[in-house]
Amino acid sequence: MFKKRFLASILSVALILGVLAGCVGKETSKSSGKSSSDEVQISVWLTPQWKGVLNASEDGADYDSFFKHAAERFAAEYKDHKVKVNVEVVASDQRDELINVNLNGGTPPDIFFESVFAMGDYAHRGALVPLNDIVDEDAKADIAQNFWDNVTFGDDIYFYPFSHNPGTLVYNADMLRDAGLEKYIGEENEIKTWTLAEYENILYGLKKDLPKNKYSNAFPMALFALNNQGDTWNLAYLRMFGNKFFDEKGNIIVGDKNGAKAANWLKKIYDDGLTNPGAESVSSNDANAMFQNQQLGVSFTNSILFNNAKADMESGKAPKFDMRLANIPSESGDPLTFTYVTGAAIFDTKDETRIKVSKDFVKFISSDPELVKASKNGVPVRSSVVEEFKGENPLFAAYTANDQFMFNFTGNVPGYNQLRQVLYPELQALYTGEKTADKAVKDYQSKGNKIIEDAKADSVIYSK
Amino acid sequence: MFGNKNKKEKLDIITNSIVLFFAILSLFPLYWLLTSSFKNSADVVKMPPDWFPKTFTMSNYVDVFNNQPALLWAYNSIVVALVATIALIIVSSLAAYAFSKLKFKGKNIIFIIFISSLMIPKEVMIVPLFRIIQNFDMVNTLSGMIWPNVATAFGVFLLKGFFDSIPDSLREAAKIDGASEFKIFYKIYLPLVKPGIGALFILNFVQVWNDYLWQLIVGQDATSKTLMVGIATLMQDLNPNFAYKMAGATVAAVPMLLIFIFFQKYFTKGITIGADK
Repeated sequence: MFKKRFLASILSVALILGVLAGCVGKETSKSSGKSSSDEVQISVWLTPQWKGVLNASEDGADYDSFFKHAAERFAAEYKDHKVKVNVEVVASDQRDELINVNLNGGTPPDIFFESVFAMGDYAHRGALVPLNDIVDEDAKADIAQNFWDNVTFGDDIYFYPFSHNPGTLVYNADMLRDAGLEKYIGEENEIKTWTLAEYENILYGLKKDLPKNKYSNAFPMALFALNNQGDTWNLAYLRMFGNKFFDEKGNIIVGDKNGAKAANWLKKIYDDGLTNPGAESVSSNDANAMFQNQQLGVSFTNSILFNNAKADMESGKAPKFDMRLANIPSESGDPLTFTYVTGAAIFDTKDETRIKVSKDFVKFISSDPELVKASKNGVPVRSSVVEEFKGENPLFAAYTANDQFMFNFTGNVPGYNQLRQVLYPELQALYTGEKTADKAVKDYQSKGNKIIEDAKADSVIYSK
Repeated sequence: MFGNKNKKEKLDIITNSIVLFFAILSLFPLYWLLTSSFKNSADVVKMPPDWFPKTFTMSNYVDVFNNQPALLWAYNSIVVALVATIALIIVSSLAAYAFSKLKFKGKNIIFIIFISSLMIPKEVMIVPLFRIIQNFDMVNTLSGMIWPNVATAFGVFLLKGFFDSIPDSLREAAKIDGASEFKIFYKIYLPLVKPGIGALFILNFVQVWNDYLWQLIVGQDATSKTLMVGIATLMQDLNPNFAYKMAGATVAAVPMLLIFIFFQKYFTKGITIGADK
């Protein structure tokens, strides 16, 4: 009897304490708004970009270090209001769920720092405010026009460009050496261009001649289709045989014979064991970690991933090896490359004070001479910063030289985020053999064009 | 040795061997997760693999708890799952008793409406539910994660079945002896549906513990994240150390395993009750 009463009492106390713990003490955690008459709180959300304020080797460097540092400085220097900036890092695959629910609930974050391609749909949906009024002539002179074009939807600028991350391949030069493929290795600070035939030689060479005693569980190339993460490389592979992906009206045309040929090539290298197995259930994150653990000879990277991988090697988190860059090859011999422009966007919270403070904060982080130096973690969009750090990072010159091979992977079409959701299931079907290459690209084309058509109808930019 | 057995014993040995094989097969991923979390990253990807860690390290667990507030996430998860489950059991048992034993107008229709709500996926209700939570100023609080999980039809449906299986004569006898309705519920019927409550406890605890989407949306700041959301974020981290991620996944899985181990008696009893009617 005593036991039962004791148990009941414990449960009751746990229940009451739990409820109290859940109800109280969270006032300070409100993400945004005005907590007192003169303090303005704004929220900044970002997906993982670079670690540290200026670089990943700083003590306690984390993904939010830069924004927390900038927020402290902004709060100290800002004259118009007492400001508190709340910074939250959200995982890339949680981004859209969080934004959409908060948008529907009327509480979007004030600022989101992210790659433009992932956020462009929110401009089309009318969820972002234009930033034309905070872009001055100095910024226009320092940042090349192609970056402004990238962040302009219709007539308005919706993102303040900060840095860009060119996407390339990355290869383990030690593996190529060990497989007797030295002749294909580029210079340390070169983005090597291989022909498609050379690339195939590398893959077959790695499969055949990589010493098994040294690389016991390694594969020539990374291939992934678990989700939409890293799908820009998959889009690039689908262009390898000359397909342009979009026509001049912004419709997908990957279902033609060149698109099917590219999909067929992917299936062939997969079936020939030139890639990691189980591509349909491997994510780009997995592939990246496999490359860093020397399980892959060639993988995907962008400038931030490349720098993070180098930092991991330096800190001992990952084994050290000779890591170099290469372009995605194509049948024509002209390589393929692309870039992600990253920057801050401001959501329309309907609160003029917060929008004003948010704009001032975005201008602050995007133009303060000290803070913009952090853009060297990717490739700076400001020519002044490139000039300052080109000695420190010789790859900046290589990236600039590579600009000529760049393609616009989004085609600036509305509904791009939804397009991403229909690509990887088709690739999964391709790799599992559920669909032929021809059917996979044709199905993607028809589903994608329907999405674009619907998104155009809903776009505030298109309906202007 | 095998030849000396009779036909039934031989069949038993074969059947048990097959069951054992599948049991090992099912447990292997868990074993691999656990042992890999004590390896260093290079040993996780090694081929042929080490079936047992040759170098045993705790550093991955140290990193999981040092690099992020994993203890706070665990505390949040435990509070949310425990409080939501206890509250659900109280609410559901009262409602189930009423539907099973009391007579009131529209009882069947209300019960059908209740059960119909089981057909609505939670995802459909996410946005309206979020707006309600916002209006109650419960975003970024544990309450916001707890209360929407308290009034669910599943608990009522499950426990009503248990109450139905207990004869009404008990209630009538207690009434004659002068017991109040609550006393009949609390003193007579509730102890008899203990297996059902045990099963509901496990099912709901697991469901709330794993309720990723709702907890992600309500717990938006770092201090109100739960273990599931925090560990999922950790999995997104571009960390090349596979063993570190394995340690994170183990931290998320172990409480569930413990719950199953300690409550499995109630669970199996709960889900098989009535099968021998």
